[in-house]
Amino acid sequence: MDLLEYQAKSLFRQMAIPILPSQRIDNPADLKGLKIPYPVVLKSQVRAGGRGRAGGIKFVENTIDAVAAAQTIFNLPIEDEYPQVLLAEAKYNADQELYLAVLLDPVARRPVLLGSRQGGMDVEGSIEQMQQVAVDQEFSPFYARRLTLKMGLQGDLIQSVSTIVEKMYRLFVEKDLDLVEINPLGISPTGEVMALDGKVTANDDALGRHPDLATLSGKRQSSGLARERRSPHAGGDRPHSQSKVQQSPEFDPKSKSPISNSESLQLIELDGNIAILCNGVGLTMATLDAVTHQGGKPANFVNIGSLDRYYAANALRDRAELGLELVAQDKNVKVILVNILGSASKSEEIIAAVAGYLERKARANRHIQVVLRLVEIDADAVKKRLGQLPVQLASTLDEAAAASVSSAK
Amino acid sequence: MNLTPESKVLVQGITESPASTRAALMMKAYGTNVVAGVSPGRGGLEVEGIPIFDLVEQAVAAVGHVDTAVILVDAYSVLDAALEAIAGGIRQIAIVTGGVPPLDMVRLVRKAEATETLVIGPNSPGIIVPDKLLLGTHPKEFYTPGPVGVISRSSTLTYEVALELTEAGLGQSMAVCIGCDAIVGSSFMQWLQLLDEDDSTEAMVLIGEVGGWSEQAAASYIASAIDKPVVAYLAGRYAPKGPSLGHAGILISSRAAAQKAFGVTAPNKMAAFEEADIPVAARPSEIPKLLKKLLKKN
Repeated sequence: MDLLEYQAKSLFRQMAIPILPSQRIDNPADLKGLKIPYPVVLKSQVRAGGRGRAGGIKFVENTIDAVAAAQTIFNLPIEDEYPQVLLAEAKYNADQELYLAVLLDPVARRPVLLGSRQGGMDVEGSIEQMQQVAVDQEFSPFYARRLTLKMGLQGDLIQSVSTIVEKMYRLFVEKDLDLVEINPLGISPTGEVMALDGKVTANDDALGRHPDLATLSGKRQSSGLARERRSPHAGGDRPHSQSKVQQSPEFDPKSKSPISNSESLQLIELDGNIAILCNGVGLTMATLDAVTHQGGKPANFVNIGSLDRYYAANALRDRAELGLELVAQDKNVKVILVNILGSASKSEEIIAAVAGYLERKARANRHIQVVLRLVEIDADAVKKRLGQLPVQLASTLDEAAAASVSSAK
Repeated sequence: MNLTPESKVLVQGITESPASTRAALMMKAYGTNVVAGVSPGRGGLEVEGIPIFDLVEQAVAAVGHVDTAVILVDAYSVLDAALEAIAGGIRQIAIVTGGVPPLDMVRLVRKAEATETLVIGPNSPGIIVPDKLLLGTHPKEFYTPGPVGVISRSSTLTYEVALELTEAGLGQSMAVCIGCDAIVGSSFMQWLQLLDEDDSTEAMVLIGEVGGWSEQAAASYIASAIDKPVVAYLAGRYAPKGPSLGHAGILISSRAAAQKAFGVTAPNKMAAFEEADIPVAARPSEIPKLLKKLLKKN
C-alpha cells in the first residue's frame, strides 16, 4: 500500500526526520486560513511519480494565486488519479538535493540502503550515481555511514545524512514497510537537511499488526476493483489474517499484485471474451498464457487462492460460485474457463458450484458456456450430474484452453 | 538434508485449525513419520496417535532428535515458531502458512544462515518425494516416483506440471515449492544445487514467472554450476503488465530504486535463459517433450 506524501511525512515527523511546516488542504477555500507564510508550494497528493512535470506542483506568492492554483491542481488527474487532498508547504532553498531509500532486495533477502548525490527529478536519468549498501546483518548506524561515504559526502554531511538514513531504517523496520524513500533530501547552504518529498509503501501482509497504517488506507477512495470482500468465516482459521481484512477495508489495487493471493476475491479486467477462474497465482498466469497462445482473448480473471482455507462444508463451493458471478458480470464474456486444481475431494465442490451457478443463470435466461477442467475424474458420472447444462469437460489445460477459444468464437 | 521416509517430522500448529489438523493427518497417511505436534495449551492431548506438546523442546525431549518441522501457525506467529524449531535443534523447516511479513522473513533467513537451517516457504505446499514423504500439503494425486526434480515458486502450477510429467510417463524424484511470498527462506539456486547432487534426480524442471527477479539469477547459476539437464517454464508470458506482476515484483514500487538495486531495466527473463542455453517451454504441456530430448542426449 502506497501512502500519500502528507501521510509519509507524518511518519517522518514521528521519527524526528526534519520536514517543512505544512498544512493539509481539503478544498481551495482552506487556503484562506493558511498559517504558513508565503511563498508556499502546493502539491497534489497522488501516488504517481513525476507530479512536478505533470503540473501537480505549483509555487504561489499570495492567497488569490493560491486558491486559483489549488483549483487547477484539484482538477488535474495524474495517471488517472484526482487528488483528494493538497499539501501546502513552506518553500525551501536547497543548495543540493540527495536521493535516499531503504527497501528490501527479494533476491538477497536483505534490506538495502540506496543513496545518490543526484537527487530530485533527475534521479532516474543519472542512475549510475546511485550507491547501495546491503544490511546483511543486524543494523547498526555504520551501514548508514558506509552509504554516505560511497555517495561521496564529506565533513559534517556524513553524520547529518547518515542520521537521516538511520531514522529511515528504524521507520522501515518498526512499521514493516516495503519502501521508505526521501527524494529529494534538501541540503541548505548552511548544511541543514530537510526531507522535501517522501514516499512510503506499507507491506500489505503486515498491515494487520499496524492499525495506524491500516487506518490511513481506509480513508482512501475505493478503486472499484475489489468488488467483493471475503467475509470472515466462523472458524478460528488464521485469526490475524481475518483482522487484516477487517482493519484494512480498502487496499490500493496498484500497490498489490494484480494476480495476488489476496484475501478478497479480486476481479482483474482485460478486454477479451473469455473469463478465467483459477486457484493460485502461477496457475492463473499459465492459464492466461494457454488461452492467449491458442488465439483467445481473456476478458478477465479471478484467482480464488489456496483451497486449504475452505475446510467448512460448502465454503469452497460458495467461493467458487461467487467467483463465477464476478467474472460473468462483464457482458462481453461468452465462456468461462474454470481451472481449479486440488485434491480429488475438492472437485466435487467445484462441480456443484458450476452446476448451481448455471442452473440459476438458466432460470434468469442468461446463457453462458462453461469449460470445466477436471483431473482424474469419472467423466460419465460428472456428465450425468451436469445433465443438459452448457458445460464442456476438459482433462488438460491445453484442451480446456482450446475448448474455450472455440466456444468464444 | 534428510528426506527419507524414516526422518522424524514435527507439526507446529497442529490444532490451529481444522485445515492444519487435516494437513498433519494427510502427511501421516502418506507415510511421513509424524512423531509429534506442537500447540501451546494442548500439551498432553493427541490427534489420531500423534502426541501433542506445548513446546518444541518438550517434544524433542520425548521423541528424540527431530529432522523437520512443518509450520502451520498463523502468519504473524511463523517467525516465532521457526525460531523455536531452530532452538530445538531442528534444521529443516517447511512453512505452509502464507502472508508472512517480509521483515520477519529477513530475520528468519539470517538465523537460518547462521545455523545452516534449510527453510522452505512461506506460502508453500512444501516438499513431496512421491510415494515416500510429504512435508506440507501437495495433493498426492498428481505425483508419481521417477527421475525428474521439480523446483517451483507456485503451488498449483507445480501440480499442473507434475501432472503433465506423470501423464507423459516421467515420474518425479522430488517436487519442492520454495514459496509464493515475496521473501522466501531458500532460493532457486539452493535447490538446483541440492537436486544436482541428489542421486535419484536425473533432470530438473524450474518453474518460475516472467516477472520474477530470482529467475534471472537462477539462469546464470544453471549455466555455470549445474551439470544435470534443466528445462524451465516461466508463467506470465501474456499476463497483463503492471507495476507488479505475480509473486515476485511486489516489493518494487520505486522504479529508480529497482533499477539500481536489481540491475534490471527491461525485465526480460526469457533472454537470460536463452543466453544460458536452457530450453524454455512455452506451456506446461511442452515440458515432457523437452525433458525427454535432454534425457536422451545424456
